[in-house]
Amino acid sequence: MKKNLVKTLTSGLLVTGLLAASLTGCGSSDKADSSADGSAVEAGESAAGFRTLDEIKESGTINIGVFSDKSPFGYVDENGEYAGYDVYLAEKIGEDLGVDINYVSTEAANRIEYLQTGKVDIILANFTVTEERAQEVDFALPYMNVALGVVSPDGAVIESLDDLGADDEVIVISGTTAETYLAKNYPDIKLQKYDAYAEAKTAFENGNGVAWANDNTEVIAFAIENEGYTVGIPSLGDQDTIAPAVTKGNETLLTWLNDELVSLGSENFFHADYEATLLDTYGADYEDELVVEPSK
Amino acid sequence: MDKDILVEYFPLYKDALFLTLKIGWQGIILAFVIGLIGSAIIHFKTPVLRKIVGIYIELFRNTPLLVQLFFIYFALPKVGIQITAKTCGVLGLGLLGGAYMIETFRSGLEAVPVIQTESALSLGMSDFQTLWYVILPQAISISVPGILANVIFLLKETSVFSTISLMDLMFTAKDLIGMYAKTIECLFLLVVFYLVMLLPISIIGAIVERRMRYGQFGD
Repeated sequence: MKKNLVKTLTSGLLVTGLLAASLTGCGSSDKADSSADGSAVEAGESAAGFRTLDEIKESGTINIGVFSDKSPFGYVDENGEYAGYDVYLAEKIGEDLGVDINYVSTEAANRIEYLQTGKVDIILANFTVTEERAQEVDFALPYMNVALGVVSPDGAVIESLDDLGADDEVIVISGTTAETYLAKNYPDIKLQKYDAYAEAKTAFENGNGVAWANDNTEVIAFAIENEGYTVGIPSLGDQDTIAPAVTKGNETLLTWLNDELVSLGSENFFHADYEATLLDTYGADYEDELVVEPSK
Repeated sequence: MDKDILVEYFPLYKDALFLTLKIGWQGIILAFVIGLIGSAIIHFKTPVLRKIVGIYIELFRNTPLLVQLFFIYFALPKVGIQITAKTCGVLGLGLLGGAYMIETFRSGLEAVPVIQTESALSLGMSDFQTLWYVILPQAISISVPGILANVIFLLKETSVFSTISLMDLMFTAKDLIGMYAKTIECLFLLVVFYLVMLLPISIIGAIVERRMRYGQFGD
C-alpha cells in the first residue's frame, strides 16, 4: 500500500513538473517572437502565430472574429447569416482584399487569445481600445465611440453607483471593459459575471442582478428593445473608441487595414454602415455620437 | 512565466477552489442520498416509483450537465421558480450525480449473491433488516471504486459552472485571461489547482478502497 502511495504521488508530481516545464517553454518562446517581430516580419511570421497580408491573399480566405450574439453589432440573423455594424465592415474588407471571409464566432473573453494563437486574422467584435489590450494586440484606427452604461428595471432605476446596496449584484460580462472598470474603480461592488451576452441578458431579465453594466451602446439597445428597463447611467467612465485589432506585430496587415479605414472614412462609409445596421435600433439621434470616420 | 503574477492571482484561485469544493461536496452528498434511495427502490422493485426512477436516470444520464444547469438557472425563473446560482450548482450536480450513483449502487447490490438474501430472510429478518445489515455493507464495499470515480467525475464537471456565473476555477482562469491576458500564468495555476484538488482524492480513494475490501465476504 505504502509503495503504491509513493508511486501515485511521484507520478502526480512528475506530471505537474512536466506541465510547468512545457508551459514555461511556451512562455519564453513567445517572448522571443514578440521581441523579434519588428525586424523579422517577413521571415518569421508563422512562428509568431499570424499570417501576413500576402499569405492571406494567397490562401484566398481571411478569418475574421466577430460576435454572433451581440445585436445589432455582430449577430446571426434569421437566415443564419452574420450581420451587424461590425460585419458590414468585415464584408467590405473581404471585398477590397479580394478574398472570401470565414467568420469565427468569438466571446468577449477570448478575443485576445484568438489573435495571439492565430485562430483569426482580424478581430472585429466591438473591441474597445484600452491600454492593457494594446500591449497584447495591435489596434487599427477607431471606427466607433463608446462609453460604459448601466441599465436597470423601471421599478428600481439605478442612477448612480452609490445607490447600490451592500448585497446588490451588478451583472457584467467576463472580459469586457465594464468588468475591468468596475473591478478597478469600484472594488466593493459585487459583480455577477457571465461568459456570454445571451446568458447575461437572460439572467438580467430573470432578475438575478439589480443592474447590468456594459458598453452604453449595448444597454441603450437593450432598453429600447425591451419594455420596462431604463438606462439610469448612460455614460460612465471615459469615452473610449472601438477599433479592429490584429495580432501584435502583424505590420503588413495593420498597414493595409489602416489605409483601408482611411479610404473608407473619406467616403463616409461608416455613416452608411450606421444607416444600414444601427438606424433601426438607435434612430438618427445617436449617429454623430457613435460613428467615427477614421482619418490619419 | 512571471512569478509576481502567480503570487498576485493565487488568492483568487484559492477562493475559487473553496467554492468548487463547497458546491462539489454538497452536490456529491445529495447525489449519494439520491443514489441510496433510488437503488433501494429498484432493488425492491417498488411498483410505479421504479418507473419514475428509471425515467429520471435516463433523463439525467443522457443530457449534459451544462444543459441541465441552463434549464434550472435560466428556464425555471421564467415560470416563477427563482433559484440562486449556488443552489442551482448543488442541485444540478446532485441530480446528475444521483443518476450515476443509483446505477453504481444497483450494480453493487446485484453483485451480492442471492443466497445471502435468502439466508437472511430464512433467519427471520425483515426486508429492511436484510438490506441494511446484510446486503448494503457488502454492496457498498463492492461499489467503492465506482463511487470514487463518480466523485472525481462530479468535481471535474464543476468546470461548466461559469454558465451560471459561479466563479469556479475554470471561470476564474478564463475571466483573468479576458481582463489581463496573462494566459500562461493563468492556465498554469488552473492545472495546478485542479491537481491539488483531485490528486489527494485519488490517493485517499486508493487507500479506502483497499480497506473496504475486508468488508467483502463469501468469495
